Amino acid sequence: MSQYASLLIALPLFGAFFIPILKRISKSAVMPFLVLVTLIQTGIAAWVFNEVYITGKPIIIMAGGFRPPIGINLYIGHFAALFVLVIAVTSLLMTIFSFKAVSVEPKDKYAMLFLLLMLGATGMISTGDIFNLFVFMEITAISAYALTAYNKTGEASEAALKYIVLGGIGSSFFLVGVALIYGSLGTLNMAHIAQLAHLVNPTVAKAGLALLIFGLAVEAEQFPLNAWAPDAYQEAPHPVTAMFSAFVVKASLYAMGRVIYILSAVEGWSSILRLLIILGTLTVIIGEMSALRQNNVKRMFAYSSIAQVGLIAVGLALGTESGVSASVFHMFNHAIVKALMFLAVGYVAVELGGTEINKFEGLGKRMPVSAFAITVGAISIIGIPLFNVFWSKVQLILAALNAQYTWMVALILGASLVEATYYIRLIHTIWFKGEGEKVKESSVLALVMLLLVALIIVIGIYPEPFWNVMQKAGSDIFNVAQYIKNVPLMGVSP
Amino acid sequence: MVKRILAIVFILIIGFWMAKALDQVPFGQDRMLVGKYYLEHVKEETGAVNAVTAVVVNYRGFDTLGEVTVLFIASTGVAALLWRKKRKRTAKTEGSVVLTTGARLLLPFIMLFGVYIFIHGHLTPGGGFPGGATIATAFLFLYLAFTVYEVDHKIFEPLEGLAGVGYVTVGLIGLAIGGYFLFDWIWQTWGIGKENIGRLLSAGFIPIIYTLIGIKVGTELTGIVDNMIKEPEEGGQ
Repeated sequence: MSQYASLLIALPLFGAFFIPILKRISKSAVMPFLVLVTLIQTGIAAWVFNEVYITGKPIIIMAGGFRPPIGINLYIGHFAALFVLVIAVTSLLMTIFSFKAVSVEPKDKYAMLFLLLMLGATGMISTGDIFNLFVFMEITAISAYALTAYNKTGEASEAALKYIVLGGIGSSFFLVGVALIYGSLGTLNMAHIAQLAHLVNPTVAKAGLALLIFGLAVEAEQFPLNAWAPDAYQEAPHPVTAMFSAFVVKASLYAMGRVIYILSAVEGWSSILRLLIILGTLTVIIGEMSALRQNNVKRMFAYSSIAQVGLIAVGLALGTESGVSASVFHMFNHAIVKALMFLAVGYVAVELGGTEINKFEGLGKRMPVSAFAITVGAISIIGIPLFNVFWSKVQLILAALNAQYTWMVALILGASLVEATYYIRLIHTIWFKGEGEKVKESSVLALVMLLLVALIIVIGIYPEPFWNVMQKAGSDIFNVAQYIKNVPLMGVSP
Repeated sequence: MVKRILAIVFILIIGFWMAKALDQVPFGQDRMLVGKYYLEHVKEETGAVNAVTAVVVNYRGFDTLGEVTVLFIASTGVAALLWRKKRKRTAKTEGSVVLTTGARLLLPFIMLFGVYIFIHGHLTPGGGFPGGATIATAFLFLYLAFTVYEVDHKIFEPLEGLAGVGYVTVGLIGLAIGGYFLFDWIWQTWGIGKENIGRLLSAGFIPIIYTLIGIKVGTELTGIVDNMIKEPEEGGQ
């Protein structure tokens, strides 16, 4: 029965391949079909989530019926079940938004690329094989390149070109890293690699891991390799920007966490953690500093998103279970908040024609619901109590203290202070400046926004049940011994 | 100049560092953990004589499905980015008679050879990807030799989708019959061609999947060529 969870991969693929045929039958059916597929995907994801959290056991999907490490297995544990659901729900909300936000032809191609972006992120999160991770990363990345340039303006093409060059270099790094690890171990399955990790030569392991991290850092928007991100976020269609920020980055961050922890038995492992901490810290500082001076709101949110991603990377690299759990909690909260904020900003841009800050003057009077959504999101990201991000930032601080990284507290609080500066400036512009005619807001989108706002506040008031889920998801990444035990490896040993 | 020297120094450092790591990877020694299993069991488990295809389609079929998707995205992406309402070929000079006649004469041979490659994927080197690329080469020939040639999009795009849907469907039938996605139901459940190893009608679903991949890759690469060779008409947006 549990093998049917492979529909998570099969369904979006089937949907994407079916669209060219559907287009011949009826062109207007393409966008409703997109909603239908993501709706079914959400249903399957909810079922998988329920299954995994009730039994407490991960679902192992063996593609082709071959046992790992001979065949490829998908590992849908606590983390994957949670984030597959997040991906599916975000995609569903964004398909609804796409009706309004995407007016550039050809829409059928947009629908295919949209589904494949969702598929790629789902695959990255659920795979248990390191080369398969590469394949899914390519699916995600290449559909992201195409979607970035989708608006066909000069700026969009430039952003996509930057992204494609950096992404291409990153992917080849990743592939060399995989080759090094395969060369020294002779296996590609993550559980098998983890089992044999103590046999790898430390030099090879360190070089391999560093290459893997640099390869993933492009997608995960870590410091020296994230120059593409603000441009791409600004120029991509609005629903796609929300998807980038809500789950494409998270999938790469998770992959980073996974490859780091499966090789934790390697000698000199802590120096790799230190590398990631340095990258993450620089990402936070540079992201926040750049956000401070932006006049384009979408670009400002993009930099803010980069800074949050830096915090998540730092948490992953603390090397303790509480750090990983806090990171997962922050990933989850950030996904909700940024989906909401990019949705609201995108909607404003659709209605008022641009995301420069002067367009937001008097927004509180012109589009009250969107203005309210942006405000709640901004307050939440700063980390004010009673909103969800407060709790994940608290957990990050506690984890940093536990891991003896006292200076990291200053980093997190300092980042929050900078965030407060530019978000309060934005809130001020929205509510206390300018006048304007009221614009009629779409009730469906208003409903979606209010739903996300409610979720933010519910997590803010009752963090306990969510934190329990996050701890389980975190230990899924951290506890490698349990991970190896869960995968039914067949006895192929050196 | 300084930039170039710095770049060279930097690359040399990275190269040295990677060479040092590579030095530790034993070369030419027996490090085949999983590989050995493939070589020993490939015939009875998949019926393929060509171990590479068995790994690519059976053992690690999931990756191949992913690669097919990557190519699909590439072709869709190119089509999305170059999309205009009215686009036409703008080639000015007709090829010489030798070129057009040569293209016409060679066409069936290239097509036939492409089909041969992907049908014999489980027996000889090659498979769906090289076969499909060969077929796309035949179409590239037509595009380059004739100024007005264009493939019929009404057939090509649905065919591309159909091949992909076919691949996923074969996988889903495996899920229904054998309980696993991409399970080789023809070989492992029905046992068709068990006495036939090494002949054309063997190896379970490998020939079927390779045919689908061949069609898909052929139509996709042709589609990319078609999109890139056309230009928007004057006045068309």
